[in-house]
Amino acid sequence: MIGTLLYLRLTSLRNLVIQRIRRLRQPKYLIGTAVAVGYFYFFLVRRSGAMGPSSAMAANAAAGAGSVAAAFVCSGACLVALIRIAYAWIAPAEKPGLRFSEAEIAFLFPAPITRKALIHFRLLSSQLAILFTSALIAVFFNRSSYLGGSRVIQAVGWWVILSTFDLHLNGTNLTLSRLRERSSHFRLWRLAAVAAIVLYAGAVIESAMGRVNLYLSGAGGARVEPAVFLRQLMASPAFHWLTLPLRIVLAPYFATGFREFAVAIVPALLFMALHYLWVCNTEAHFEEGSIALAEKRAAVRAAALRGEAPKIGNARPAARSGPFPLAERGPPEVAFLWKNLLSMRSSLFSRRALVVVLVLTVWAASFLGPLLSRHSRSPGGDAYGVIIVTASCFIAAYTVLLGPQVARQDLRGDLANADILKTYPLEGWRLALGEMLAPTAILTLVLWLTIAAAVTATDPAGQIEWLTPGVRLTIGLCLACAAPLLCLTQLIVPNTIMVLFPGWYQTARTRTGGIEVFGQRLIFGILQLFFALLAAVPAGGWAALFIFASHPLLGAGPSVVLGTLVVLFILGAEAAVGLWWLGERFERFDLSTESR
Amino acid sequence: MIEVEALAKQYGTFTAVRSLTFSVRPGEVLGLVGPNGAGKTSTLRCLAGIIPMSSGRVRIAGHDLSSEPVAAKRSLAFFPDEPRLFEYLTVRQHLAFVARIYGVAGHEALAAPLLEELELSEKADVLPAELSRGMKQKLVIACGLLHSPSVMFFDEPLTGLDPLGIRRMKDSIVRRARNGAAIVLSSHLLHLLEEVCTNVLILKKGEKVADGTLAEVSAQFSNGEPDVSLEEIFIRATGGSES
Repeated sequence: MIGTLLYLRLTSLRNLVIQRIRRLRQPKYLIGTAVAVGYFYFFLVRRSGAMGPSSAMAANAAAGAGSVAAAFVCSGACLVALIRIAYAWIAPAEKPGLRFSEAEIAFLFPAPITRKALIHFRLLSSQLAILFTSALIAVFFNRSSYLGGSRVIQAVGWWVILSTFDLHLNGTNLTLSRLRERSSHFRLWRLAAVAAIVLYAGAVIESAMGRVNLYLSGAGGARVEPAVFLRQLMASPAFHWLTLPLRIVLAPYFATGFREFAVAIVPALLFMALHYLWVCNTEAHFEEGSIALAEKRAAVRAAALRGEAPKIGNARPAARSGPFPLAERGPPEVAFLWKNLLSMRSSLFSRRALVVVLVLTVWAASFLGPLLSRHSRSPGGDAYGVIIVTASCFIAAYTVLLGPQVARQDLRGDLANADILKTYPLEGWRLALGEMLAPTAILTLVLWLTIAAAVTATDPAGQIEWLTPGVRLTIGLCLACAAPLLCLTQLIVPNTIMVLFPGWYQTARTRTGGIEVFGQRLIFGILQLFFALLAAVPAGGWAALFIFASHPLLGAGPSVVLGTLVVLFILGAEAAVGLWWLGERFERFDLSTESR
Repeated sequence: MIEVEALAKQYGTFTAVRSLTFSVRPGEVLGLVGPNGAGKTSTLRCLAGIIPMSSGRVRIAGHDLSSEPVAAKRSLAFFPDEPRLFEYLTVRQHLAFVARIYGVAGHEALAAPLLEELELSEKADVLPAELSRGMKQKLVIACGLLHSPSVMFFDEPLTGLDPLGIRRMKDSIVRRARNGAAIVLSSHLLHLLEEVCTNVLILKKGEKVADGTLAEVSAQFSNGEPDVSLEEIFIRATGGSES
């Protein structure tokens, strides 16, 4: 039976590979693959190959740093794993099940196959993915240069970690299913499991904190090397025993030679075998849960293919009142703003949230300024201001560059409804503008917050002579005025890409993997960056020129206003041309041609 | 009301519709039939202004669809076979949204009887996810009818409806035609066309094979035989094969 199931898996895999290779005949996949391969080669393979230490001292330094980095990575990974396991207990699915596709359920569940064989099939399916992932990580992330060990050891180490984790999650799901079926104290069991996980995590942290504090304070003599400190930490009895299960799983990965690996792999495999026995011998009905899970995954995939926004979490959408009362008459663009704001699942942009943001902004403006001012008068105190300004600038830059990829409540979110939208009695540009108003409003709000924070935190002590409160306010208001147009021009880029290359866009937004899809997403990112610069550079350049020229005559404030007017004019012109062109293209847009 | 002259639609080198000419007057219901891939959906999508035609001329309620698309679209409604709805808008919010787009004043007063007629009143405040497929289809119909269009395009209008819904849909189409609407209806359900349509247009490989009233088309393909069904006419007209 397992042979038959293996045949199904391997044949499917072979056909998938053949199909992926065949579709490289289409330029969009070929170009995507070329870009992705180039990226992986230049940024991962070549870099990891060039990262060897050039001297013994460098090697030692790298080893020390590597030990610390590895310790951090291990701690982080263990924490994530614990959180994931705790989450499975805190919020189990209504019917916990194992992951099968709808086709697998349709063919295998009614077939004369034992329950155990189905579980084996499930484990076998995940093994193929785990083996592939382990090999990929070992190829692209070479840690031999600072931690030693070959790529084979790394790959097997990853396989042990991922397989054990997968088995553990399956075991947890089956146990949850069994408890739900047979125990009247299901909640109590869950509570006990979560408490045990939290207690365990707390005990591990507590056992380590004493030595970590000692190390950081440098007490008890000169500070030891990081690698030595880690060895000492591992040797402490409480930490040693508490982390034993985790260390058993991680040990093969950290083996620096084949002898060490051989010693480490035996307990790891035994530990994995225990998990396997747990999964195979937990008598639970997983069928209903598996069907529900498969239906949910199929629905998510179908929604992605239809062009709908991806869903997060299990919560069903709830009906809500509109963000504002929609008057019967008025510009139709406002109806799109109303609709798209309403369609946001998150309550992050609700009226209540807006009030909270406004209150916070007012609070920040009235309290943060004096606070920073006091700090800046103390020696080295303006560091807070520098941090806030730097963080604000980073957030603003990310909002402008990456925000349009995240805030998709526009034409991209309505791709599935394109046919209906096109029957509306509206010019293309008005439709495009209406659709983009919601993401523009969201991104603008974020930019306004960053501007408020940056303006407040810049030189609060008033050490820069020309930066008077009036000039500061003027700059803030001018930036705030330019923000909506800047966001709008940036949003035109991904919407235009979607309309011009719907096939590319459809492929890139589905959750199907593949190196070519990664490459396509990379191309979209590069295009966004390119057009962001193309839109901002002329506006910024001309504004700077006007400010520079008029500053001696008009003074700082008026020259900034003049520069802003130039920015508004240029960005406005860019947005108008972009909207008109996008509208024209949208009127000719036919998604159905892509599927032909 | 609907005037089509030499309509053609090409996808690259593939011609989906070629040189199609017909008209639908107020009060007429034109049944668009043809085998799979005959060009029915492409024709309907061109007529509704969803996709641009490659060549030809379409006038909707006296407005040229190419040069006056906004005015033309104000008079039409398109009902797709697959109900596409906004996921986070309730039934009532859908109607409010559409009313604003089409500038329908006092839409609540208009919506109430529509919702009643389509048995959606009790579902007015729920999201599409909570509606059955048939209910979703009804909501699409309600949205399309809200602005009282004088031209309607139905693409497989009965898909997903229950028997009572089918009966009401047929009655609704006939009633709206009697009230002066020009309707084009694409369907594979030939008995529906026999019951509802005044005229039939048979397409094959994107070309018009026959066009006229049911009696005219029947006479053209009956070879003098009495009581030949539309199904038989369809098979004879299309050669009994797919495109």
